[in-house]
Amino acid sequence: MAKRKLVIIGNGMAGAKLLEDLLLRHATRRYSIEVYGEESVPAYNRVLLGRVLAGEDGDAIRFEPSVQDVSDVQFHRGLRVDQIDTMARQLHTSDGQKHPYDLAVISTGSRAFIPRMEGLMTSEGSLKVGVYAYRTLDDAMSIRSAARAGGNAIVLGGGLLGLEGAKVLADSGMHVTVVHLAGHLMERQLDPQAGETLKQRIMDMGLFVRCGRTISRIHGDSSIQGVTLDDGTFLPAEMLVIACGIRPRIDLAQQSGIPVNRGIIVNDTLATAIPGIYAIGECAEHAGQVYGMVQPIFEQCSVLADILSGEKPTSRYRGSRLYARLKIAGVEVASMGVLEPELPDDEVIQITENRKKHYRKLIVRHDRLIGAMFVGDPTGAAAAIQAFDRGEPLPTNRLELLCEPSSSTRKTDRDVCNCKQVRLSVIRQAIQNGCDSVESIAACTGAGTGCGSCRSEISRILNDTQLASVGR
Amino acid sequence: MTGTRPRVFPEVRSHCPYCAFQCGMTLSVGSDGLPEAKADPSFPVNNGQMCIKGFTSGQLLQRSDRLHHPLKKNVSGSFVKVSWDQALDEISERIINIQRTNGPDSIACFGSGALTNEKAYLLGKFARVALRTRMIDYNGRYCMSSAAAGQNRSFGIDRGLPFPVADIAGAKTVMLWGSNLADTLPPIMQYFERMREAGGRIIVVDPRLTPTARQADLHLQLTPGSDVILANGLLHLAIEMKRIDQTYIRSRTVGFEQVRSAVSRYTPDRVERVCGIGIDKLRQAVIWLSEERSMLLSGRGPEQQIKGVDGVCAMINLMLAMGHVGKPFSGYGTLTGQGNGQGGREHGQKSDQLPGYRSIENLNDRQEIARFWGIPETELPRKGLSAVEMLRSLGQQIRGLLVFGSNVAVATPDSGHVESGLQALDLLVVADSFLNETSQYADFVLPVTQWAEEEGTMTNLEGRVIHRRPLVEPPEGVRTDWWILCELAKRLGRSEQFNFLDVKDIFEELANATRGGPADYSGIDYDKIDRNDGVFWPCPSKDHPGTPRLFADRFFHEDGLARFVPVEHRPAGEMPDQTYPLYLTTGRYKEQYNSGAQTRKVVSLRSARPMPCAQVHPRLAERLGLEEGEPAIVRTRRAAAEFIVQITTDIRPDTIFIPFHYGGKEAVNQLTNPVLDPVSRMPEYKICAARIEPKPTEPDLLEDSDYGQA
Repeated sequence: MAKRKLVIIGNGMAGAKLLEDLLLRHATRRYSIEVYGEESVPAYNRVLLGRVLAGEDGDAIRFEPSVQDVSDVQFHRGLRVDQIDTMARQLHTSDGQKHPYDLAVISTGSRAFIPRMEGLMTSEGSLKVGVYAYRTLDDAMSIRSAARAGGNAIVLGGGLLGLEGAKVLADSGMHVTVVHLAGHLMERQLDPQAGETLKQRIMDMGLFVRCGRTISRIHGDSSIQGVTLDDGTFLPAEMLVIACGIRPRIDLAQQSGIPVNRGIIVNDTLATAIPGIYAIGECAEHAGQVYGMVQPIFEQCSVLADILSGEKPTSRYRGSRLYARLKIAGVEVASMGVLEPELPDDEVIQITENRKKHYRKLIVRHDRLIGAMFVGDPTGAAAAIQAFDRGEPLPTNRLELLCEPSSSTRKTDRDVCNCKQVRLSVIRQAIQNGCDSVESIAACTGAGTGCGSCRSEISRILNDTQLASVGR
Repeated sequence: MTGTRPRVFPEVRSHCPYCAFQCGMTLSVGSDGLPEAKADPSFPVNNGQMCIKGFTSGQLLQRSDRLHHPLKKNVSGSFVKVSWDQALDEISERIINIQRTNGPDSIACFGSGALTNEKAYLLGKFARVALRTRMIDYNGRYCMSSAAAGQNRSFGIDRGLPFPVADIAGAKTVMLWGSNLADTLPPIMQYFERMREAGGRIIVVDPRLTPTARQADLHLQLTPGSDVILANGLLHLAIEMKRIDQTYIRSRTVGFEQVRSAVSRYTPDRVERVCGIGIDKLRQAVIWLSEERSMLLSGRGPEQQIKGVDGVCAMINLMLAMGHVGKPFSGYGTLTGQGNGQGGREHGQKSDQLPGYRSIENLNDRQEIARFWGIPETELPRKGLSAVEMLRSLGQQIRGLLVFGSNVAVATPDSGHVESGLQALDLLVVADSFLNETSQYADFVLPVTQWAEEEGTMTNLEGRVIHRRPLVEPPEGVRTDWWILCELAKRLGRSEQFNFLDVKDIFEELANATRGGPADYSGIDYDKIDRNDGVFWPCPSKDHPGTPRLFADRFFHEDGLARFVPVEHRPAGEMPDQTYPLYLTTGRYKEQYNSGAQTRKVVSLRSARPMPCAQVHPRLAERLGLEEGEPAIVRTRRAAAEFIVQITTDIRPDTIFIPFHYGGKEAVNQLTNPVLDPVSRMPEYKICAARIEPKPTEPDLLEDSDYGQA
């Protein structure tokens, strides 16, 4: 049987991961696979952009498939797909060529969203010098080389990416102001109180935060010199980093007559309404959701690879549960699920520790965790995300979820005598009950009657315990 | 006891019959005439410490249920005593008949990590030369096969610990991964106590708050089966926190780039989510582990999984990237379990191995050993089935099975299936000192010596070859395993290759057979062992002092470099779902050993742990209505079994723990999943999906108790 041709359009994270998942499932037995990548550079792991911003080599975050043998796969790098002729089943590429296909997967990803601002562009129509959209590897490299100690930077957007970038810039010695449109930081992951707590913590690190504000004007001719906020405040700046989220790249799909909404509309099999065309990643919209995080993308890739490889054709994508974790050392933020109760019966458990700037909140429905957020103190976040993912019933005392047995109580009890397995607590009890020598402890508990090597330790415990009682 | 009392030697220095720590013990017969085992203060591994199993081991020599005659099962299904000649004649006749009809591979041998090096060597030779069967494997497959395969991939050699155990005392950080050694190797704790006194710290990775984890400075209580995610995630963090050693990576390893790329997807939030461990703890672990003098020691936790080999490689990757392997008081090691779990995996009782850790599929190795044994290379069988696969084809492809030193009916996953296989055989021969769960199905049971009645060598968890010395002569009617193998070989027409004067004679042949192999014993002899309290292999010549520390200068791949091996997480063979919503994991009690065939016979051990309990978290117990001390039914896709409930916060609320030392209806391996690691063929003892419910009370009993309370 002749192999069918499977094309992957877009060689970003989603495209590269799908390829890997297909190869792991031996899909090359069924398909000859071709990958079209507009960028000439190999895919990279965007989650790790912060590392490049902080000075690491771009190569360090290259996304290499774990399947090393890609000899069966044909790569077209630096070649853009302009249109998919879904009737003739042909791709039209930027070099004027036409390429036949049997199945096509669109993974064109997203682009940075740049809000309208007066003075954003130069007269030639490019972003002013010093203005960056923080989105790609190239962006991270340019921002890094422009960062100067003692300089002034504005970061527009107080979400995950914006805050992480702002922290790196502050660490490089810049005066950094985060300008955020919503009333509080990370409003998609945090409630107002959590956002306020986070703001305090960010400000404690030497950054400035202005919420509920946006930039109305960018000053400077060819280079940025400052910005005016919508309340009229002027802030001098040589750098503006825009981190206002993403917009799915759907032009190709639109031009090819594939139904789109905010993203390319796919069902639980990641298929579009046009037979033979699939979409994954940040360009895809599933059940009204466009995802901008890595985990959902990986889950989509795995499902589509299951189906197309024939390894598990009944595999379905049912949407992803999101878990946001801010990656700034010293500012722990974790968030999952809903931010506020939605039904009258939903329970809310909130713990506010003002002086410590800790805030924790659980939202519970029918004994199940449907949302949680942690700022400052992440204790319990690991247990919460597992309870959230699995939909397990919570402990009757919800606070148990937030507690971990303290390590000090763990360490106190242990076997002192390995031969006769006598615990420290048992020896202490014996001393309290009146044993006042190693011999009497041995007679009473058996400790030290095996090899005897623990007798010196028993004697030390005896001394310590007696000293402690004298001290009392 | 029957017969006259055998001759007794004066006090001897020997070693414990149980685990791979092989404590030095002095054996003597006390004034009351009973054998007594004391810890040997002069043996440099245990330094006079020993655990309760060792102290009580003398009782095994005094059991009244000891076998003294070969037993043959008669037509009515009961055992009758027969002479050795009759037993051996009939067994060999039946072997010949079965092989004539069904081919040489229809007879299989099953060995053990409890056998001495001499027995392990001879069993491998017996299978290949006398039986000419491909079918030989051993219970070390259940134990060390993943660690062995992983170390071979990464280092080009497999010795459990590449350094003496005493080096632990000099470490600053030791990470114990899936090892509860406070219970399983108690005397090793002396080294941890010393390191702690010098300011060292312990990190324990375990889904349970074990007695070992209680002593930890940091406990990473991971979700069962998430070990690869954790190891890759720690390396991801180490890279992010700039705590890797670039100089070491450049000079001593290859393949880092691929691993760096592979772990780039194991972000801290993903690790936290899947493993259930907070990112702060992950960071702490990386900081401690990346400092100098760090060790990572793994136990069966990460290894007894279908991704056991990958797990081992992931842990080694971490230690290589931090530059620890081969430096003083640093590196990676695996804690071998069975008494001769190390030597047992070197001398050819594993299906793919030839003596000296040679490969049965490598032409050079085959030619060398075939020449040594005096047979044409073409006559040397090739690799056969691994333990679980072999035991699952009993009665089909395999018609006859000879078992030495293993209780397969208890130790094998989905043991119910194995028991039916044992019953379907045309011939089952079991060599053991006592009757056990396996021998009940045997056609012949051959009584063999116990450790204090025989001589031989063992190789402990450090790779130190040590001398097992006899206290007493075997009781009347009892023979050693090697004598049985030689006698059978003669009856199978191979007498010239099985002509040994004594056990030293076998050792000499073994040592010569290993010459030039990775596990080279050729420079070792009994005197050298005695003079030095053991000799570390490789020891390639008579004047070679042995090799306590591997890797200081080079690894054992041809270029001398260690390999980074990129590995990815895979889900367990069976994950919790709606029907079986919990993880079931298995492990050990301090007071019992392996299948319990020995320790359940020692009164004080039996009374300390009379039965296996199912450990559950109070939260799970409350939800399901489980009561402490009450019976519950644990179900998996293989079987259902009844266990007494033990409620403890030491276990995760999503996991049930049951120890595996018990047989029959108490055997947890009825429930476990027989899926295998694709490389090591290790079964997945540590994870399967299960559910648990209170045992339904019988109505009339309930009424009775109601009356009783009224």
